[in-house]
Amino acid sequence: MTFAKNILRDSFQRDILILVIVSVLVGSMLASVVSLGANTYFSKTLASFVGDYGEFDLIINVREEMKTDAAQQIDKIISDVFPGAVLKEGPTLTGKTSFFITLPEQYQTKQVYEDLGKTFGSIPGGAGVGVMTDPRLTIRGVPEGAKNMLMERIMQMDGVRFAFRDGGSIGVVLLSLDKSAPVEKQINALLKQYQVIEISFPVGSEPSNPIRLGEAIAGDIRQDLKVQYAQNVSVDGKNDDMTYAVSTMMEMRRFLTAYASQVTLTPLAGAKLAKGDTLVFQGTAPAAPVAGSPPDKSNILVQVTGIKSNGAAEGMVVQGDAGGLVNPQGYKLEKNLVGAAVAAASYKNPRQELAGALNETSKLVGQIPGFAQDASSMSGIAISALDNYDSGIAAVEQTLSGVQSAGATIQAATSGLANIDTSSLRAQLDTSSKGLGGLINTLKVLKLVQPEAGSSIDSLAGTQSSLASLSSTLGALDNVAANARQATAAIDSVVSGSRNTLATLKAFDAAGAKNSLRDMTGRLDKVQEINVPLVTAQLQYMAASAPNLKDEDISHTLAIIDKFIAGQVIPGERIQILTTSSVDADAVAPIVARQAGHGNASLYSTAMGIIEPDARGQLYQVLHEVKAILAGITAMVATILFLVFDHTAVMAVIRRRRLANRAKLSGWRAVLARFAALSAAERVYGMACGAVMLTAMFIISGGGIPYLPWIGVPLLGASLGLLVAGYAEKISPVAADEIMAGEALGLSFDEVMREIVIPAARPGLLQKLNNRKVKFR
Amino acid sequence: MLTINNLHKRFGKVTAVADVSLEVKKGETVVLMGPSGCGKSTTIRTINRLVEPDGGRIVFAGRDITAIAPEEMRTVRKRIGFVFQQFNLISRLTAEENVMLGLVMDGMPRELASDKAVAALAKVGLDNCRGQKPGELSGGQQQRVGIARALAFEPELMLWDEPTASLDPILVREVLVVMEELAKYRANTMVVVTHELPFALHVADRIVLMDKGRVVEEGVPDKVFVTPASEVGQRYKELIEYQMNTSALTLAGKRVA
Repeated sequence: MTFAKNILRDSFQRDILILVIVSVLVGSMLASVVSLGANTYFSKTLASFVGDYGEFDLIINVREEMKTDAAQQIDKIISDVFPGAVLKEGPTLTGKTSFFITLPEQYQTKQVYEDLGKTFGSIPGGAGVGVMTDPRLTIRGVPEGAKNMLMERIMQMDGVRFAFRDGGSIGVVLLSLDKSAPVEKQINALLKQYQVIEISFPVGSEPSNPIRLGEAIAGDIRQDLKVQYAQNVSVDGKNDDMTYAVSTMMEMRRFLTAYASQVTLTPLAGAKLAKGDTLVFQGTAPAAPVAGSPPDKSNILVQVTGIKSNGAAEGMVVQGDAGGLVNPQGYKLEKNLVGAAVAAASYKNPRQELAGALNETSKLVGQIPGFAQDASSMSGIAISALDNYDSGIAAVEQTLSGVQSAGATIQAATSGLANIDTSSLRAQLDTSSKGLGGLINTLKVLKLVQPEAGSSIDSLAGTQSSLASLSSTLGALDNVAANARQATAAIDSVVSGSRNTLATLKAFDAAGAKNSLRDMTGRLDKVQEINVPLVTAQLQYMAASAPNLKDEDISHTLAIIDKFIAGQVIPGERIQILTTSSVDADAVAPIVARQAGHGNASLYSTAMGIIEPDARGQLYQVLHEVKAILAGITAMVATILFLVFDHTAVMAVIRRRRLANRAKLSGWRAVLARFAALSAAERVYGMACGAVMLTAMFIISGGGIPYLPWIGVPLLGASLGLLVAGYAEKISPVAADEIMAGEALGLSFDEVMREIVIPAARPGLLQKLNNRKVKFR
Repeated sequence: MLTINNLHKRFGKVTAVADVSLEVKKGETVVLMGPSGCGKSTTIRTINRLVEPDGGRIVFAGRDITAIAPEEMRTVRKRIGFVFQQFNLISRLTAEENVMLGLVMDGMPRELASDKAVAALAKVGLDNCRGQKPGELSGGQQQRVGIARALAFEPELMLWDEPTASLDPILVREVLVVMEELAKYRANTMVVVTHELPFALHVADRIVLMDKGRVVEEGVPDKVFVTPASEVGQRYKELIEYQMNTSALTLAGKRVA
């Protein structure tokens, strides 16, 4: 309260308050001037190299010796393409000259920035075009396939002008610098929502088509793990033509591999084959290869591509064609010379098989019209037959009844025959026949002597024949009875079976069958309408266009394709799946194993991308920090100076007054008193002044010290005040006897300070301010 | 004029003044004497509270000044002149300004204060040194400026804290002459702390002897120095005798020679 009153009236305390305020203003101004001066100097130096922040949009580096031509060309391009753009030649460093371009706002677009390579592609000595538009953020490490999605999301953010593909990164041009932090925060949050699961395949387990495998895995992740978003981002599936080219070549490779002759090599006794071995076969050469000589062009060379578990090997013809493998004996090629016989070959030529199949199909197709016509006719007949089906059933029923009654009649007719003794009758007839036989023999002898006996012989022979016939008939009559019984049984069986069959026949859906037949007839009619000649011609065309390649052509082509694919950025053994962060990579492993057909893949999760520190922004940030540090250091120096020159005298007086009534202490009391003196009035005053001045100067001048939080600034100021207070009397010795004289004269503390202490103290701001108040100058 | 009752002052564990009581009448010159560190200066400084007493009462002009606020004490101090051992002049000011300082700060117009200062300086024989700064004056002159500064207020009480202790012996006299003049001819009320035996013998109305913070003896000079009741008084008596003998012998010897 007293302090407040003293501040309001014309007191020395008010002088001190004014001093602190003026000190803060002067110190802040000094700190600002020093920091601004340094910042201006460094900024100008930096600007001479890369321009002011946001001044330029594009930078083009060209070789120094070409800069004149390049400048003309750049000027021409911007006149044609970007009218209104400003070109400025920059510094030449390490043999490269920089050209800066400021684009009119209408050309600061996504499309323009993504086409810069094309636009400035014709510059002689061109070493690269870069975007400098600020404020800008750069995101790197984003998989190609995820860029479009990410850019679309970023473009929707507040504060973003547009996003564009900046080489392998994504550039984000902002509306203003103050949007940088919030946009960066939003992008970081977006990046955290997703992860990239990278699937790596070891050598030998690479997928034949990683693009398709990636898509299949992504599909399964969505389905199996119930994830809304999972996308194969191994490559850009929308914009990268090369991706399609490579994918197509992969398919071509698979196609050619499928039609290459598959040679099976069976090792001879004691021989062993290894992957990569080459075997020489006679082929079309007149004689078998000779050991020790180089292989002939007419020989066939087969390279071992794999070893089966039974020891047999698979091979691919790399010279000649498998069709020439007439002599199956294969010799190992060692150091390009024919070696010992090691295997016998057999082969399968898928191209021949395809051609044969096509020819056969072609023939079959030729038969189709006739077949369809026949089938249609048969169908008509079958329909007619089915029309009479029911009446036929009835007729069959009737016939069965007739058969049954016939069986009964047979049974009745044969029952009488059972009582006739046909055996004795047949015996008598046989005896009579034998008697006639003897008689005939006699007459034959007689005929030798009596030719007229011939007619009697004929007559007797006729009778004998009649008797034999009768005897036979009687035998047949006996069989008839037995057969009649069997027939009756058979008829019964037939009738019984027929009735079951009849029941089945009755259950048959004749109407449905007729409808089906009618449909079939309709389709057959359409088959007849097929343009068979055209199909046949196409089949013949296909047969003719089937790979008419030798195996060596195929193997050479495969080698070329492999060489091409290997040079591309398309990952042969790595697949990237972009999905949400919630997906556990371990849960994806079974899906990968299922789709790849093996479990040899390694999975790990990476970030979708990271925001790259903007080197230029960082540089300006460093400059900003340097400015703040300079302001801070200047503020500290100013605080120390003000404390030393203005406040030490005050502190010394306060200390004198404190110690005026205190006896000198020694020993532990002196040590204790030293600690207690930390809260002594002059030190509290010093700390308060230091803290207030330094904090205020920091705030006003924008000062900052690295690793010093804001709360540390007043503490630092207080520390400076404490330090200075400790040496106050040494820095500003006050004349105690003069003060005492003033007090003895009845002067107040304010008057003593103004008239005696301050005028005699070190020259400073306080002394200057005090001149207004002092009565004895 | 001044009554001190049971005055106490301690500095930490050291007792500087213990139970000192003193009565000074108007126009009286009281000289405080005693060995160094006996509490003389502390006692005289507590009178105008340049040193705050720990206990006791000090009544000046009928008013207990130990009980008044610092602000009011400033007014009282203007009625009490103080002459320091070390002169305590403001080094940056001239002799005249030193004398004027208290007057001007008290609200006196500068011209009037100047007149008074010149008059005060004239009283101590320094009216021709008004424009000189303390550094340009001798010790005796500086002390006389100090005396003029104390006199400028025309104080009711003058306190002298060993005014000649810092002076060259040759310069002591010019100060003592002024003091004697003030005491004998202007009838100022004075309390003087000094080791100057001749001055005490010649000028003091009363001698107060102190030892170890206490008043051990007081009385008129003849009584204190001739028939001392205290050990301190006895030592002073012996000192006087010694000085008288040595002075006489020396002077006699020189004269004889």
